[in-house]
Amino acid sequence: MGWQIALYILLVVALFIVGLRLLRRHEKRHPQKIQFSRKLEPYLFVMPVFVLLLLAFGYPLINSVLMSLQNYKLIQPGNIYFNDFGNFKTLFADRDIGLIIRNSLIYVVASVGLQFLLGMTLALALRRKFRGRGLYQAIVFLPWAFSAFVVGLMFRWSFNGEYGVVNDLLMKLGLISEKIAWLGTPGLSLLVVILAMVWMGVPFFAIMYLAALQSIPEDVYEAADIDGCGAIRRYFAITLPYIKPTVIMTLLLRTIWVFNSFDLIVVITGGGPANHSQTLPSYMYTRAFSGYDFGLASALGVILMLALGIYAVFFLKVTRYNKAGDF
Amino acid sequence: MKKRLMALMLCLALLAPMLLAGAGASGVTLRFIDVSPSPVRQEYFEKTFAKFQEETGIRVVYESVPWDDAANKLTILGTSNQLPDVITTWAGWLGQFTSAGWVIPLKDYIAGTEAEYTDTVTKLVWKGENELYGDTYTVPDGMMVKGVFVRKDWAAEEGIALDPAKGWTYSEYFDTVRKLTNPEKNRYGTSFRGARGAFDPLFVYLQTFTGGRAYADDGSALFNSPEAVAAYEVWNGLYLDGSAPKDAINWGFIEMVDNFTGGLTGTLINDSEVTATCIANMQDEQWMVMPMPASDVDGKIYNTINSPYAYSISANSQNPDAAWELIQFLTRPDNNIEYCKLTGLIPIKKDVGDDPFYGPDGYYATFMQQLNDPRLVVPCAFGPFSYTDMHQGMMHEEMQKYLLGQQDAQTALGYVAGELENRMKQFLADNPGSAVEQPKSLSD
Repeated sequence: MGWQIALYILLVVALFIVGLRLLRRHEKRHPQKIQFSRKLEPYLFVMPVFVLLLLAFGYPLINSVLMSLQNYKLIQPGNIYFNDFGNFKTLFADRDIGLIIRNSLIYVVASVGLQFLLGMTLALALRRKFRGRGLYQAIVFLPWAFSAFVVGLMFRWSFNGEYGVVNDLLMKLGLISEKIAWLGTPGLSLLVVILAMVWMGVPFFAIMYLAALQSIPEDVYEAADIDGCGAIRRYFAITLPYIKPTVIMTLLLRTIWVFNSFDLIVVITGGGPANHSQTLPSYMYTRAFSGYDFGLASALGVILMLALGIYAVFFLKVTRYNKAGDF
Repeated sequence: MKKRLMALMLCLALLAPMLLAGAGASGVTLRFIDVSPSPVRQEYFEKTFAKFQEETGIRVVYESVPWDDAANKLTILGTSNQLPDVITTWAGWLGQFTSAGWVIPLKDYIAGTEAEYTDTVTKLVWKGENELYGDTYTVPDGMMVKGVFVRKDWAAEEGIALDPAKGWTYSEYFDTVRKLTNPEKNRYGTSFRGARGAFDPLFVYLQTFTGGRAYADDGSALFNSPEAVAAYEVWNGLYLDGSAPKDAINWGFIEMVDNFTGGLTGTLINDSEVTATCIANMQDEQWMVMPMPASDVDGKIYNTINSPYAYSISANSQNPDAAWELIQFLTRPDNNIEYCKLTGLIPIKKDVGDDPFYGPDGYYATFMQQLNDPRLVVPCAFGPFSYTDMHQGMMHEEMQKYLLGQQDAQTALGYVAGELENRMKQFLADNPGSAVEQPKSLSD
């Protein structure tokens, strides 16, 4: 591996030097065309990064589209062939695919929606200065710094049906009389994953919105106060329009991240019981790494990519992102 | 000029690590990978490798991968021809490894030394490998046989008499589980396995109704007959009637063992390797080991016997002879006995001497007794084909759907049996001259 990386760096450096030399020679020979050379120069400077991106993203992207059309099982390296959309057919013939798509939608809508609402509330609460704000802020922003694996283990143990602290608390409060098997009951297992995701993601929204809120000029609010504007009107007429670009970008990014994330699911429930907390990416992971069926997993990946692409374009159109922040 | 000199030096700096790495490879260096690392195992291996280097001059580099990621990592190393020289291999992977050609046959290496090994190795493991894959591909690291770990103190409280020497039947086992269940005391009768690996012990139980066979000669599944469907319901009845915690639907190996040693469950069907965990975490008066229950149909004890992490030589090894030398060193009686004691296994060579650890009063008495029991039969495995995807998916998922009341037992078992049958028949069609596996016993 080491020599391949070294070779790559040497190649890019060599390409860069040759390119620069050619440009300089061209400048010397045709001084009248110096403008043209200068225009080419920026492309030469971005070339190393561009080559890197092409290798790191372009190649796997094209390859995964190709693999999605092939019978590509890691354990049969000598038996790879195009299988006439066989992977997509298998995918849609899967008995659990309806359940998994439904889980994915519930998971994304519920966790992003709750994160957004709670994050916005937290940001609004932290906007005004009060004693100990710094410390409070540090504590509530902490979950964002945890790795998903740690958060997953924490929730898995907290919601353990026999020893979990959640059942214990609920029983002591008299809210339940029998222990609940959170991770072993359809519906509840997905709820636990959603709660973990919300707990982890709220600080992200809060940090982003707090930064955006602090950039709103104070005098706009003062003018609104003078005009006798109420708190709700002030929020919808001033605050929200000002931070709209941030709101759109965070919602878009977070939806994509949450949709693509599977670490919490794998750690907390492993998709169980009987796929009731499985989402499309966690299913893709299971398929790719337990069945070694990379063709099928790629087909799922291509569908995910298309769905998220369509969502992003649609979301940006509907929210009129280009015009956001204009007054 | 300066610039050129600098560019040259930059290139040299980039190339230097590669050149140095190449120059270091004097003499033979072997790579070894452990798929079930723990501080104890790592210490043992590193110490033994140092001894090996002293004796032979061959250096061994220790690598490891956590068990949960092991199958993935070995598969990726295998497809990219980067497998270490000596790999620790689980029997369930052999179908995949041999069909992909990632491990080499060992028959020629072993030739002439067979008599040193116990019958469990020669008559069960190697015979099985020869039947399934046409050659011997592994040398066991130690032998593992299943038993039922029981809370001795709970059984005494409930007035249940348990005698390992006499054994028990499945009906008696199910009875005991129910008697040990007492939710008010937060006690459940069994560490029920509902997630990964859930079908393994059930598959053995189903085969107590088929004489240990899984398939008919034409590859048709035998374990989905009406009796087997009824047995499927009886087995899962332990979960449905509350003899196991509701959470157990998501339990795998770790949860089963933790909840037994932690005091939540009263019985645990598992391999002898769990003995080491019980010794470390429980008082001697709290637990005992019963043999696997005998069949209610023919009175035989159907029990899987395997080596958990057998040694294999990878096909891309540049030094297979040195790799074989290492395997021989690791399985030399003194090293093997030390390893087996550390990891809870039974040594693979006859030369155990009179080590009390494996004697009638030792922790392994019940396991050794089962190995010598004339009623012992090793039932058939899932098949010589790759079933990792099923093992990590449909096998327990279909069972979970049954446990959640989303489908009946016949449908749940039918899906798994149907898929296994398809693969078995496909294997027979693809490999003319091959036959389905037969159950084995030491008297064969």
